[in-house]
Amino acid sequence: MTYLLPHILNGLTLGLLFALIALGFTLIVGVMEVINLAHGSLFALGAYFALTVIGGGWFAGTEFGAWWLGLPIEHRYILALVVAPVLSAGAGMLLELCLRPTHGKAPLYGLLLTFGAALVIEEIIRLGWGTGEQNLQVPTAINGPVLIGGFIYSKYKFFAAAFSAAAIVAVWLFLERTPYGAIIKAGAHDSEMVRALGYDLSKLRLFVFGFGASLAGLAGIVMVPIWGLRPHVGIDVVIPAFLIIVIGGIGSFWGAVVAALMVGLAVGITGAYAGAWATMSMYILLILVVGLRSRGLFGRKSALEN
Amino acid sequence: MISLSDVPFRTPLATFGPMVFIGLLLVTAPWWLPAIGLYQYLGTEIAIWLIFALGFNLLFGYAGLHSFGHGAYLGIGAYAFGLWQQNVMVGLWSGLAAAILAAGIAGAIVGALISHRRGIYYALMTIAFGQVFWFSAMKLHSITGGEDGLLGIPRPALELGFASVDMRSNVALFYLAAVFLIVALVVLRRLVNSPFGRVLQAIRQNEMRARFAGYEVWHFKWAAFVISAMFAGLAGGLFSMAQQSAYPDVMSLHQSGLIVMMVLVGGGLVSFWGPIFGVLLYFVARDVLGGLTETWLLWYGLMFMGMVMLRPEGVAGMLHLLVRRVSGERSGAELAAEKVS
Repeated sequence: MTYLLPHILNGLTLGLLFALIALGFTLIVGVMEVINLAHGSLFALGAYFALTVIGGGWFAGTEFGAWWLGLPIEHRYILALVVAPVLSAGAGMLLELCLRPTHGKAPLYGLLLTFGAALVIEEIIRLGWGTGEQNLQVPTAINGPVLIGGFIYSKYKFFAAAFSAAAIVAVWLFLERTPYGAIIKAGAHDSEMVRALGYDLSKLRLFVFGFGASLAGLAGIVMVPIWGLRPHVGIDVVIPAFLIIVIGGIGSFWGAVVAALMVGLAVGITGAYAGAWATMSMYILLILVVGLRSRGLFGRKSALEN
Repeated sequence: MISLSDVPFRTPLATFGPMVFIGLLLVTAPWWLPAIGLYQYLGTEIAIWLIFALGFNLLFGYAGLHSFGHGAYLGIGAYAFGLWQQNVMVGLWSGLAAAILAAGIAGAIVGALISHRRGIYYALMTIAFGQVFWFSAMKLHSITGGEDGLLGIPRPALELGFASVDMRSNVALFYLAAVFLIVALVVLRRLVNSPFGRVLQAIRQNEMRARFAGYEVWHFKWAAFVISAMFAGLAGGLFSMAQQSAYPDVMSLHQSGLIVMMVLVGGGLVSFWGPIFGVLLYFVARDVLGGLTETWLLWYGLMFMGMVMLRPEGVAGMLHLLVRRVSGERSGAELAAEKVS
């Protein structure tokens, strides 16, 4: 057990981060009925925007840039946490506008369009930020090792887990306790009825896509110090997100969270015994769960089945 | 938007012209490819991907089953060919048979597990299985050679009983691939216009109704999956001959997505010939755009996005509508399709 403990903790951290990514994904699937394959690319964009904000970006070299880099990293990091998700949301909204012609057609077209968008965004990242592996600076307060009960953990992982948990709770409160959340949930349930009640469906979709994209961007900023930042990270991330919503059941909030924790634990525990095969465990989990329950753990019938 | 089933079947006589044209293009390719500034090997590569794409379209376009993990079967074919040459015996026919068989067996197992699924769940399961194969290829170092793959796969000579043809030159390999391409074209064309192909199209249009009409739908979905996996395996075997190696990259989600893009851009949803346009367009884009700019994938991706947004029927669909407009004839099916869209 003591051997497994760090791996379980790692798995839970990973699960919470996965949950944060999957939440935006599941919101978009619920309201838009689009499997957004570019979600990982929005995640990567968020991280790269943060990189630019922290590093001074286009102002590097100027007087303003020098002043900016002189500020403590904490200030720059917090600003990045605000600005980068907003920029990701902008990119997401642009993507939603591109998706409009595919509304009402088979879900395949949305899937294909977002696959194309993922390719395009990856190339844009290569153009704008270079192809190499980059490092996202984090404040010293949340960096470095911490000793708990004889084990050494990275402080950053605790921060990431706590941050994700807080963000998940905040999203849940937003969806359950505010009128906007009620409209979004209604839109996911029956978009025609929402339109009939006088809400502007296209605005709702734009907003939901932006919101989902900003969650992806936020997850990107928090996750890349663990995963590393390279143009390819989008594809690496979209697959787990995707598996998670299928395991959890498409459109289910808690399904996504539970499935994310399951996937995180599966990866963590497999990693303890056979490190090379850790990633494989999530595919096996998917095949097992979907083989037994075709709509996932908490899934209901969805429009995507046709 | 028009679909495959709106385009009337043309008799072999009517398609004789295009067939002969394609045949002539293929036969003369080793001369005209270098003449227009391209290279010999490109022809082989295109022929191999055409076999893959045409087989894939049986599943994607005709049966409407959206597999996003089909690169895996190409990869399995490539590995099977390589392993056969290295561990069992050096032989072209036996190697290709092993490639087709291995991909077919993998397809049969996966097909049995996913054929009860529909729509997006089908696509998701194909992605998951594709990733499992890709991941296994990366991690089973002792068998597949890990990320580097199998290297130094020989190109065995073609034994015809009365003669033996050396395959080490690219021209010889091109003709071999071209012959297989023509066989694939003929077989698939017969298949999609057979009762079997009609049932696949019925499943695409309405699976429930096909079932109520008395067809055991999942048998047909399974068979379509296995057949297209076998064509992918054949392409894979030829691919490992061409590359003289087999590596996991072709099995990645990226590659599996590219074949979907090629088939859709070319108009595989509208025409049997669609994948041909798509594959040609992709390789021309790769070599011509790629020669001009490093970021050709960006432009190809943007073109693809534009295509999905504005012209999801692809190149073949645009050509089809153009021909219709020029000749001024309008079929009832097309009018009905326009009303719907």
